[in-house]
Amino acid sequence: MYLVADISVEICASKSCKLCTQYCPEANTILYSEEMGKERGFKYGSAYVAVDRCKGCAQCVWVCDNMAKNNAIKMIMIDQLPKAALTDNITYGEKSTTAVLMSPVVG
Amino acid sequence: MSLDYVKFSNGFEKFMPKEYRDMVEHGPFGKKVTVSQMGSFKEVLEEHPMCAGCAMTLFIRLAMIAFPNPEDTITVGTAGCGRLAISQAAIPFVYGNYGDQNGVASGLSRGLRLRFGDKPKDVVVMAGDGGTADIGFQQVLHSWFRKERFTTIMLDNEVYGNTGGQESGMTNRGAVLKMAPLGKKFEKMDMLQMAKVAGCAYVATVVPNNPRRVESVIKKAVLIAREVGSTYIQAYTSCNIEYAIPTDKVMEDAKTVENDRYQFTEYVSEEAKQYLAERYGYKEFLPKPAAAIPNKA
Repeated sequence: MYLVADISVEICASKSCKLCTQYCPEANTILYSEEMGKERGFKYGSAYVAVDRCKGCAQCVWVCDNMAKNNAIKMIMIDQLPKAALTDNITYGEKSTTAVLMSPVVG
Repeated sequence: MSLDYVKFSNGFEKFMPKEYRDMVEHGPFGKKVTVSQMGSFKEVLEEHPMCAGCAMTLFIRLAMIAFPNPEDTITVGTAGCGRLAISQAAIPFVYGNYGDQNGVASGLSRGLRLRFGDKPKDVVVMAGDGGTADIGFQQVLHSWFRKERFTTIMLDNEVYGNTGGQESGMTNRGAVLKMAPLGKKFEKMDMLQMAKVAGCAYVATVVPNNPRRVESVIKKAVLIAREVGSTYIQAYTSCNIEYAIPTDKVMEDAKTVENDRYQFTEYVSEEAKQYLAERYGYKEFLPKPAAAIPNKA
């Protein structure tokens, strides 16, 4: 088992600073979905992690805690993820990406 | 080298991998994308074998987004960590022998100008501190003295990270490394001053803890290199393995180093300022309007 980043939609969708999308060293790993926050009644969208690309460096955690001061990202074991976004399930819209979180890694 | 090659061949669409389909349909080609849109489009950089948390990868990722026309860009690299990521992008990559990347880029940039005339085709060299300041030093300086029109980016991690941690010309004095246990005995090379002396039209230092600044610096450097002359960017991209920086502290280290010895500096020649202002409307380089004469009445 290994650690991956997990973003709390509740905190992220109320702040929506998008800093983690700009500081992740891996391309297309932290993505931003307009729908993810709005469908839960928040004003903004939320960032989420494509876990199959995450190398677990936790740079986003430092950025979220110290630069944005939102504390929305935690490192958790991959088998503890409630739902996981995989690259295969991610579709890009015209303006934002949409994560289809229907097939979690955990069985 | 054009939008024509970033598309499906007839009948092959459903057989292509998802990453390729995303690239064609939602990639940055033919559009203008910025750092603030990151996370909402498919990036040209793909998965790569570089270490977790590497600041060099972050810089390369930002650079690929900042290229003004990624579909008309060729990157040139050489041995070193950087090429592991640069070669995994949907941008043609030329791998020079160790140290000859600026020689290869000179020929490439001249050839592209002969073939395509006025249509801009950008050549960007991205090499490590060893490839630029030590082993490729001669070719780098000569390409600058010849005013070859392409951009040179040094990914300065201040160590030979790929081969176990030997000191390079860009290592700081006194730094103790795995393969330099007595500490480095002489100063870090001043490549910025050398670039200015050699006649580069644009010289900048940057640290990737400010993505928008990285974007702006790379855009300016690539645009100036189209017409005016050589441009040089020196980027601090720490090696978290050889300098034993915990991966989650990489940005903290970048901030410390930026305050210590890597402050943002930018030198733009007068000719380049005029070019950016006239051709691309950079307001900060437009001539200032003459101060209004106070009315004496």
